[in-house]
Amino acid sequence: MKRCDMALGYLLSIFLILGAGHAQINIDSNEQFHEELVIRPLAGDHVNTYFQFTTRWHYGENESLFHTQLTPRVIAELLQQFDVKELHIGLTQGLWRYETWGYPVVETTGGAEMWAWFNGPNLTDQEVNRQWTQLANVFSGVLCASLNFVDQTNSIAPKYLLRPQFMSGGGDENQSKFIRYSSLPREIVCTENLTPWKKLLPCGSASGFASLLNSAYVHNTKFHSLGLTVRTLCEHPENCVLELTQTANLVYDLRLLEQSTGDFSLRRLFGMGLNGYCELAGSSQIYVQLNEQGQRYQLVPEPTKEIKTTRGGHTVIYGVYDMQKQFEGQGERLFNIAWVTPKGDRKQRLGGGQHQFLIPPPLNVHRYLLGQGQERGRIATELTNNHYEPLPILLQELIPWYVHAYLHTLRIRSRNLQRHEYTNSKKDLPFQVLHYAPGKQRELPTHLEIAFELPPNSAALITIEVDYLLLKWLEYPPDANHGHYIGSAILSTLLPIARNYTAIPIDGHLFEHSFNATRPSYVLSLHTEALIVSLPTPDFSMPYNVICLACTVVALAFGPIHSVATKLIIVERQSAAPKNFLKKIIFKLTKRKSNSQQQQQQTEEDKAIGGTETDIDPTDQRES
Amino acid sequence: MGLLSDPSLPTQNKFVVSLAKHVRKLCYAIYLLGVVWFCCLALPEFNHSTYLSENALSPGLVYPEIRIDAHRLAVQLLEELQRERQDHRSTTPHAWIAAKFRELGLETHIHNYTLRYPFGGGKEFHGKNVYGILRAPRIGSTEGVVFSAPYRAPSSVHVDLAPSVPLLMAFADFARRKNYWAKDLIFLVTEQEQLGMQAWLEAYHEGDRSDDGLSANKYLWAGNLPARAGSLQAALNIEVQDLSDIEYVDVKIEGLNGKLPNLDMFNLVQRIMAKEGLTSGYKQAHKQQLLKKRRRQSSSNYELNLQRMVTMLLSQSSGVPTGNHGLFHRYRIDALTITASKRQQSHHKSNSNSAAALLKAIEGIARSLNNLLERFHQSFFFYVIINNDRYISIGDYMPALMAMVASIFIKAYLTWSSLASAGKPTPYGSVMIYLTASLMIGYLGNVLPLQPYFLELPLSAAPLTTCTVASLTIIGIVMPFVVILPPGGLELLHIALLLIYGCSLIVIGLLNFALGFFVGLVTVPLIIALNPIEQQKTNPLSFITFLLNPLIVIYGIVLVMTFYQFPELSIQNILLRAASASMDASAFALIDSVIYGNWLYFAVCTAFLPLWIVTWSLALSKRRLIFRHIDEDMEDLDEIDGLLEEDAADQNKLKTN
Repeated sequence: MKRCDMALGYLLSIFLILGAGHAQINIDSNEQFHEELVIRPLAGDHVNTYFQFTTRWHYGENESLFHTQLTPRVIAELLQQFDVKELHIGLTQGLWRYETWGYPVVETTGGAEMWAWFNGPNLTDQEVNRQWTQLANVFSGVLCASLNFVDQTNSIAPKYLLRPQFMSGGGDENQSKFIRYSSLPREIVCTENLTPWKKLLPCGSASGFASLLNSAYVHNTKFHSLGLTVRTLCEHPENCVLELTQTANLVYDLRLLEQSTGDFSLRRLFGMGLNGYCELAGSSQIYVQLNEQGQRYQLVPEPTKEIKTTRGGHTVIYGVYDMQKQFEGQGERLFNIAWVTPKGDRKQRLGGGQHQFLIPPPLNVHRYLLGQGQERGRIATELTNNHYEPLPILLQELIPWYVHAYLHTLRIRSRNLQRHEYTNSKKDLPFQVLHYAPGKQRELPTHLEIAFELPPNSAALITIEVDYLLLKWLEYPPDANHGHYIGSAILSTLLPIARNYTAIPIDGHLFEHSFNATRPSYVLSLHTEALIVSLPTPDFSMPYNVICLACTVVALAFGPIHSVATKLIIVERQSAAPKNFLKKIIFKLTKRKSNSQQQQQQTEEDKAIGGTETDIDPTDQRES
Repeated sequence: MGLLSDPSLPTQNKFVVSLAKHVRKLCYAIYLLGVVWFCCLALPEFNHSTYLSENALSPGLVYPEIRIDAHRLAVQLLEELQRERQDHRSTTPHAWIAAKFRELGLETHIHNYTLRYPFGGGKEFHGKNVYGILRAPRIGSTEGVVFSAPYRAPSSVHVDLAPSVPLLMAFADFARRKNYWAKDLIFLVTEQEQLGMQAWLEAYHEGDRSDDGLSANKYLWAGNLPARAGSLQAALNIEVQDLSDIEYVDVKIEGLNGKLPNLDMFNLVQRIMAKEGLTSGYKQAHKQQLLKKRRRQSSSNYELNLQRMVTMLLSQSSGVPTGNHGLFHRYRIDALTITASKRQQSHHKSNSNSAAALLKAIEGIARSLNNLLERFHQSFFFYVIINNDRYISIGDYMPALMAMVASIFIKAYLTWSSLASAGKPTPYGSVMIYLTASLMIGYLGNVLPLQPYFLELPLSAAPLTTCTVASLTIIGIVMPFVVILPPGGLELLHIALLLIYGCSLIVIGLLNFALGFFVGLVTVPLIIALNPIEQQKTNPLSFITFLLNPLIVIYGIVLVMTFYQFPELSIQNILLRAASASMDASAFALIDSVIYGNWLYFAVCTAFLPLWIVTWSLALSKRRLIFRHIDEDMEDLDEIDGLLEEDAADQNKLKTN
């Protein structure tokens, strides 16, 4: 009864507000939706545009979890079906270049990546495994991604690296938490992922910032990443907030735009101007970075407001456009922002994007594969610390089962940034933490986590030697000679300064919460490049098939031919063995006894025959 | 009775015995069969026309988008570079190249390497490669393609290739503005010819091994690269002599140790060049053809084909790459060099190809490589190019070598069976020791020149290497006079030689067909003719064997080459010049083997020199005729009746001979 009332209430309120026809629609204070767009010009003629759509749903214990307004139904069902408290999914194409672009707001790796925290009463490891695969299958359907390939062979349970960001509410501290992580580096992200991702938004792609995400333009970028994060924040089990954050992080290369002059605008980036804001949104803000690389542009129109934010000794100025104010009281139109180089500077700027002084971010990471041939190799991860203080480093490697890693070959060598060569073996950096779960062929991936301290102004080279496995012939994927992927390693550190750091603090949920959010340290996580290894691959050609077939025939023929060629055929006389079961046993027992006596007799007879190799049954002897 | 376990089958077959009487005729027949088969391969009925196996390449599917302004940019950059070159007579203008790469918007890095030249007390050379990476928008730096150009300083003795770098830059500028790249493009400018390329590749694939002691290369310190682009799929090395007037494009494919790029890669380049209207071909084939036609029309197609075949095999047999591309092959990266040659006579202006067409061709090749979903794996890795559109596959040319080897093995079998039936003594121990000794001599040839105490001598590489190898050869020559095998030893040694020789020919033929084939072609008749049972006082065989000593063969080859290159010199001069050149050649072979991993020197020392020593001792057939009585005394002491009897039989046979 109560539920009915509530629904009626909502409906009424919607009608009332629609009737009034005014901008601020406040459906229910329990559910909120915010859209944000951050645009930051980067070094080297690149532009980063970051979309964040945040839906927060405050639900009590009595509320029906099937009844949602802004939160998509599928997310609400998560809470019903699974013990998931936090879920991250990232679908990314390209690689974020830390040296020139700084650190992104959200971190993702190339391909598909997914991790989730499970927490609930009476959870067991098996149960979590089951839920994890199911969860992956659900989101495989929701996002049209190949997440259904996530299973035990490519999932691990990170021990140190990924920390929970959810609050399970008081009283269940003794409930154990479970985590699963998996990545699919081969996944290619495309329009088919963008469309269902946009459908999760309250306004869809019809209005609001999501209308800018046109696949033709989004997929022409140098880097694009779709993210989906769900977490629950519970003070008590009765008082919870479900937070859904959808992010789209794009990096445009201005030189790839048609008729590139270095200037750009919303229309040139996304193909059209902004047609308004999502009417269901609590706020629709565009933040434009004005200092650093943004300094070289003039904005048309000028931002309505400027915010100066200082975080960890690093100051950034953002110009703010409030869309709800921009579109106040006017008919249909398209809103556009243009970044124009002032005329005097143009000559300097053209082709000189790289010449500007670039401060590299404090920590940098690269990974590559060494060695030649298809038998063995070395995975090398190279970290660079440009900061003047030592940094604590936590590194997680997920090595798939078809690559055998040898822990005893794991080494961390370091060098000062002024030097070119790494130190010799006696001065290896020591591990502070080492967690190693060896892989198992066709069942488990190798999971490695190490922690160490990276000295100031130095680089570290982490190497581990691996063997490549020869797969069974049906285990090769299509295009076998393309090679197999090793997913990226994840690296985590605590930065003492926030230079190039833009991530949203854990206690906030909007981009504006990162303004002036100075903390003692900043958790930074970085992803390395994925690797392609070429495992020994047969040529799946006609001769190969012929060899396989011929070998099978030979193997089948070998047995009979061998036995014909080596065995002696003797016609056996009918044995005196009785048919009755009991008598059979007695017969066998007596036979064994008499066997030893007959042995002598037999050998004597053999001698008499002349030592020919005859295999005569003892029963024959007895009869004779 | 079981078929396999039946002991009653005779080991001595009548057929075998009758065959054994005609061993040599049979073996020569098989050998000739191989040679004839090889010659037949040049006939059009025995070779095939080329085709593209990898459909993903789809050459020429897209219209070239590169415009004439790219060519203008190249010309403009060349002018700038020429100004730079006036200040850098013998060095590379690294700063200019790096600045230009940065200006084009490439991620630019400089790679330093050091060569610790080991000979003559040791010297250090430093070098730098400049490379720019165009990060592809469609991939997370997991795969890459290399476009490289060698830089030669104005003081270099080689042909001027200055326009290569501007051309590379013009293409990079074009590529930077396109968003369809699905593989990172690396634009690499190397210096010091192949050394720079070797260092770069080693750094890319071996990384920093400064402390491991596992370093593959003690002499070339490649260091580490600051940035990489995943696994390299293919490479194109571009050499351009002129930007405005290109007569033809030479496609070079032979790599280190005779390795070749995938035939698909060659076909791709060939097709795209043809599409852009450039005259291109393998081995300046075009030029030779033209010259031939002008000289005499009579030479038939067959002759030309055979000639081209043999030229290709000859250039493969030395194992030295014909360009910078050759070093990629050992990392399983398919690579080739396109060399655009300047027009020599300028009167023929009508058919002028400027570098614009070459840029279009490079774009076409790059886009086809960009299409590749898998590494090159279809088509052939082992082939002989007969014409630009005809090839011989490994299945067709291998029988020629196999026939030669088969004749050796047949001889070994028949000799063994006749030996077994004659019931001669078989002193395995002393034969083993003899073989080991000759192998040791070969091994010393590999190791001695690189010993620290030899390296510290104030001797340059050429005399050091030649002295070592020559002294080892002299030991080999003297060995059969000093060490004389017991009776029956030579026969056994003969069989051992046949087996080892056959095996090493197969192995060498598999690794480098050309080398195996030529060695077989020259030496197989000699090995067939060897017969230690027949004792001859004046043995022509021993003279021929002496001529086939590796050192003398090298000298002979160099002598012929010198004669053709400098026909105007007097004979005395030519002989001297050839001597010094062959000393240099052996030193270069050693340096190649320690720096680049060319195994010609290794093969000569490990296989050919010991085999030659054994052949030499068999050709001499030194027996203990003089010391016969001592032998008999000793055997009397041993009082082994059987041995004595056999010895007597042996003597009888010798007398009848």
